[in-house]
Amino acid sequence: MRPHFAIVAAAGVAFAPAVLAQKDQGLELFIRPDKGYCIACHQVPVQAGPATRSNVGPALAGPRMRELGSAALHELLRDPTRANPDTIMPPFGKHLLLDEREIDRLTEYLLALP
Amino acid sequence: MRFPRLRLPLAVVLATGALAAHGGVDAVRQELAARIEAQLQAAGAQAAATPPESAVTTPAAAAAGPTPMEAGKALWGRKFKDGRTLASCYPNGGRRVAASYPLYDSRLKRVVTLEMSINQCLKIHHEPLLEATDPPTMGALTAYLRSLADGRKVAVRVPAAAESHFEQGRRLYFTRFGQRNYACASCHVQNAGRIYADQALSGAVGQATRWPFLHANQALTLQAQIRDCLDRMGAAPFGAGSNEMNDLEYFLTYLSLGLPLKPNTPR
Repeated sequence: MRPHFAIVAAAGVAFAPAVLAQKDQGLELFIRPDKGYCIACHQVPVQAGPATRSNVGPALAGPRMRELGSAALHELLRDPTRANPDTIMPPFGKHLLLDEREIDRLTEYLLALP
Repeated sequence: MRFPRLRLPLAVVLATGALAAHGGVDAVRQELAARIEAQLQAAGAQAAATPPESAVTTPAAAAAGPTPMEAGKALWGRKFKDGRTLASCYPNGGRRVAASYPLYDSRLKRVVTLEMSINQCLKIHHEPLLEATDPPTMGALTAYLRSLADGRKVAVRVPAAAESHFEQGRRLYFTRFGQRNYACASCHVQNAGRIYADQALSGAVGQATRWPFLHANQALTLQAQIRDCLDRMGAAPFGAGSNEMNDLEYFLTYLSLGLPLKPNTPR
């Protein structure tokens, strides 16, 4: 029992920085000009990111993100023109601005918005 | 479960780990947000602290070198090897002519910009040509030449023979390209006045009246500004002075028809 407990405890300790890093990456992708740069167009709740006046796109809030769901959000980030050909939102995945893992990180960040 | 006694400790450890992670994420997020906000505020304060008009006239700026206007005036008055100056190539010595550019040259069958006209003059007089977007030379010259037409109304004409160029410029303005899949019109028509990256997007109408733009004691031509914009869109910019860029400038300037020139706008 003791060895197993130690393994699980170690996994728990290791798990914390990994999750932290992933969430941190999501915010970084959200604000980096050479990556998503979503912050240029969208506002997020104050405690979730920098406060801006951006209003080219709608303000983003957690309830709406979670209503969309992970799969739809991922697809929206990959290529929003499939759902709306007239949108000016960049096709982050299709145009290789973000790779699949980065879209995953960004999706997680958006789903975790308050 | 294979190890029933492990169930409780496992749940406790995972919950503790997750909570710790969640708390840590919030802390990092808040710290990162505070840092970014501080940077944004610092950038905003710096921009606010910079007096727009005086950027090129303060003693500090002058100490750094001549202003674009001064440099442009000096280049304008510089004598060629044959004793002539740039002023000899333009009617009225260059006064009030800038408002008519770009213009369609039926002999060349292409759109001629103000920068091209300067290089044409230099070529006629066997002088070395200037790079079309070089701030210390071409930028400075356009700053001075366009200042000679300050307040004149944009008077670009589109004769029947030039319609294909105008149409090409219009098409380029509304075509989405680049990695970010924006068109010029995406921001400057559809979203003009909205806030992008904490800056209000300017409208297409009037954009061509304000160049060259002054930034850090340098004069940026309209084509330099468009190239910078295309670069930020993730698109390979058209060459300065290329047919595509000239047609784009032709269309954009026509949108400002009748508006007074207000060159040397601080940026």
